[in-house]
Amino acid sequence: MLLLQVIVGGLLLGAIYALFSSGLTLIWGMMNFINFAHGEFVMLGMYVALMIVVWLGGGPAVFGIASAFALFVLGVAIYLSLIRHVTRGPMLAQILSTFGLALLLRYTAFWIFSANVVSLPQTSLGGTLNIFGILVPAAQLVAGVTATVITIALHLFLTGTTLGSQLLAVAEDRNAAMLMGIRPDRMQALAWGLAAAGAGIAGALMAISYPWSPSVGETFGLTAFVVVTLGGFGSVPGAMYAGLIIGLIQALSAFYLGPIYKDIVVYALFAALLWFRPQGLLGKA
Amino acid sequence: MKAPIALALAFILYPFVFSNAFYLDIGVALLLAAISASAWNIVGGYAGQVSVGHCMFFGAGAYLPLLVYHHWQLPPVVGVPLGIIVSLVLAVIVGMPTFRLTGHYFSMATIAVAELIRLVIGTWDFAGAAIGLQGPAVGRGWWDLTFRGELPYYFIFLAVLIVLLLVISTIERTRFGYYLRAIKAGERAARSLGVPVRRTKLYALMLSAAFTSIAGSLYSIKTGFIDPESGFGILVSVQMVIIAALGGAGTLYGPLVGALILIPLQTATNTWFGGGGTGLTYILYGGIIVLIARFEPGGLHEMWHRIAPKFGKRHAA
Amino acid sequence: MAKRGVNRRAVLAGATAAATSLATGARLARAADPVKVGVLFPLTGNAAAAGQASKAAVELAAEIVNNAHPELANIPLAKDAGLPGLGGAKLELTFIDHQGNPSVAQQQALRLISQDKMHLLFGAYQSSCTFTATPIAERYGIPFVVGDSAALNITGRGFKWVFRVTPIATDYASTYMRFFDDMKKAGKKIGSIAVVNENTDYGTSVAEAVEAAAKQNNLPVAIRIPYSASTTDVSAQVLQLKEKNPDVVIFISYTADSILYIKTMKNLDYLPPMVLGDDSGFSDPSFVPAIADIGQGLMNRSAWDIGKPGTTTAKINDMYKAKTGRDLDDTSGRNMQAALVMAEAINRAGSTDPAKLQAAFKATDLKPEQLMMGYRGVKFDETGQNILASTYLIQLKAKQYELVWPESAAQTRLEWPMKGWK
Repeated sequence: MLLLQVIVGGLLLGAIYALFSSGLTLIWGMMNFINFAHGEFVMLGMYVALMIVVWLGGGPAVFGIASAFALFVLGVAIYLSLIRHVTRGPMLAQILSTFGLALLLRYTAFWIFSANVVSLPQTSLGGTLNIFGILVPAAQLVAGVTATVITIALHLFLTGTTLGSQLLAVAEDRNAAMLMGIRPDRMQALAWGLAAAGAGIAGALMAISYPWSPSVGETFGLTAFVVVTLGGFGSVPGAMYAGLIIGLIQALSAFYLGPIYKDIVVYALFAALLWFRPQGLLGKA
Repeated sequence: MKAPIALALAFILYPFVFSNAFYLDIGVALLLAAISASAWNIVGGYAGQVSVGHCMFFGAGAYLPLLVYHHWQLPPVVGVPLGIIVSLVLAVIVGMPTFRLTGHYFSMATIAVAELIRLVIGTWDFAGAAIGLQGPAVGRGWWDLTFRGELPYYFIFLAVLIVLLLVISTIERTRFGYYLRAIKAGERAARSLGVPVRRTKLYALMLSAAFTSIAGSLYSIKTGFIDPESGFGILVSVQMVIIAALGGAGTLYGPLVGALILIPLQTATNTWFGGGGTGLTYILYGGIIVLIARFEPGGLHEMWHRIAPKFGKRHAA
Repeated sequence: MAKRGVNRRAVLAGATAAATSLATGARLARAADPVKVGVLFPLTGNAAAAGQASKAAVELAAEIVNNAHPELANIPLAKDAGLPGLGGAKLELTFIDHQGNPSVAQQQALRLISQDKMHLLFGAYQSSCTFTATPIAERYGIPFVVGDSAALNITGRGFKWVFRVTPIATDYASTYMRFFDDMKKAGKKIGSIAVVNENTDYGTSVAEAVEAAAKQNNLPVAIRIPYSASTTDVSAQVLQLKEKNPDVVIFISYTADSILYIKTMKNLDYLPPMVLGDDSGFSDPSFVPAIADIGQGLMNRSAWDIGKPGTTTAKINDMYKAKTGRDLDDTSGRNMQAALVMAEAINRAGSTDPAKLQAAFKATDLKPEQLMMGYRGVKFDETGQNILASTYLIQLKAKQYELVWPESAAQTRLEWPMKGWK
């Protein structure tokens, strides 16, 4: 029973990892671009949720959508003002730009919201469900399920709609896509908007049960890197499986070995994977 | 050859002009940053393999001197060659598998291995765990390299930097340097030209690791303290990348130029705005990095090369 | 080079002597030169919240010393403006952000002493930064007052210029043991304890001290769980605790993680007879509002007690609240107390001459009634550690903590077991 309890907790957290990593993998696969500021998008999503709750008093549905929308706008704006210009430059300039961006976002939040730890007031999702003896906090259940649904929706959008396939076409072959009359710039702006929005919702979902301060993004950023590399660059289903797997590994190793070993196990497995299957679980070699 | 000699002279004269201990210490920090970024530059700049986990070598170099002091009361300097050996082993372990990969895989692999080491050190009592290790509070003799003033450190660091730059400038002119440039330009083409790609990348990483390790040793001997975050923290790696990229990666003086700009900038913004506690230091720091990446993606070195000829022409006319 | 180093040192020593005589001379002429204190805190980075709160507290201490506050008459130097021993001189604070980076702390300490000619240094919160900044003060012969840093061997390295006012990990551990003994005498069952600690210098130092003290007292530690404070999920830890079922769980945690623990315990329906927080996160002003309705009766270590309206401590808290909008917490309170102790020593020294300051610190002997914190007094041993530092235990009742132990100081009755959310 205890084992099942641990597994459920790990999977629910993993679903959120999957959601915020799927955006990172999308722009990574599409533009071959590492975004060091991705964790900060999650952090900003959390603060948007806080502002909505404090000022407008909305529930999770309201602040989830608000976070997604705000971060979508921010993602597009960042693409148009910065990313578009550095993609043509050397890889180092790309790393430099998003690292600078991460600092800028983190400390702007610090300036506005202070360094103090904040948490959302208790929402209607405060209860705990008892499902055949396994205790599942309602907030985490809602968060995990919502995250999974959105990740799947993102995948379906990419593979099943015209707009989505245009987006993937740009990822596949930018020049060929241009010949087909697709404007890569627009598609990439859309990808950045979607990626940031995904991170924003994930942040809002995390905020329901997790207290945070402006430095929280760093943890999420590193987790997202591991998930994306494990899943294979550019693969949304890959990010989804990898997110769930990492959530599970963390929970199991935290319980059986002790919490300080959970990240050690994750990084050790990750390093081992690089020896044997460097292209990731679902990535193309 | 005029410029390097003038530069070296300026560095030698600096401590006599700015003899205040604080300015001297900024000079020491600047030299250290230039050493580690130049060491990173061998593999990250010349070979184009962007490592974001170079703190693993820096940390190894930083920990061993204080480990040998802490456990066996040996002079910390004994740990310097040991740090180099550990770093070389790490370089082989990381390089062998990941150099089969290209681009971001290598970056991610280095981040992951560095994080792994940081986490392990943080739980390992032998290495001081989370609390870290201290050096001798007061030197037992000159061999402890625990000086009361900053001046000896300044000249030791300067000497290491000069040696490193000489090594790199020699490499630039050898076949090995040509291999590195070929790999950076395109691995497939390099291979078809007969360049031993994987071996060259591995040697570059090993050389880079050895010098980064020395930088780490200099840091911990001078500071007299090391803990997981200051040895193996991701910011240590990122700092090297930023400084090299800022000045111009893959150029001899790029990292030095980057350090000359960034270290005084960091210190000045922290000194002026840090006490206010608004985080303005980092907002400025982040903003400047973004602006440079946006408008001068090749680094300041490249900008200089673009601007300098114009001045030259004007003089000629 | 060695020869130059020796010369430099000789010159430096000469310069210090000259500066000292100059300073004495100047003091007679212009009596009210300010006393310059350089304060090092982490104002950005992971510990920024604690650094910012402590900065405000130390500023308040200087305000109390520099201006006349007859309403706080039992606090030394509060009554009149400035330091009477130095002709009414004021404390002038310069704050430095060391960013939690040990080498920045070292560099800025050097700047404060060599360039800004500070008379004293104060700081530096994280032990790592205190480790690297104190040797600079030691080298230049400038007193360094440690407000709050956990690692045991900050004092006891043979340093003659470091003075730590706060109690340290071993004091906390022995306090817990005395408390458990009292509880056992009162008929409560304490068969085993669990220790859950964040794994940086603070958590590790305290957890090790508690484990050692428990062993000495034949109190079984059912489980010790070190974890990283940046963790986003603590359910595994809570399930481990549930399995071991100890009578008391001691949390040595920062803010976000301590809130997360209490919430997760409720979600997984695990309520031990008592939760004992080791200050820090449990004392953060964000903690109580976040968990008040589910953490009823949990206990916390604190040397700070706001007290009844009208008391000195309540007045200090009002001043702090007017300044920052938050209640004074224990960490900031201990820093503030250290700043007041420092001011009292400077005043007694009657001079900013380092040797006289050092002598004054060594002769410090403050009584409990002269303090805002619940120490038994302030008196430094030869390593510079305050040997009379001690602490209270407080319990969360409704929306605030009440002092419940030791019994001699208690305001309300201790409730055992805790109610939690039930």
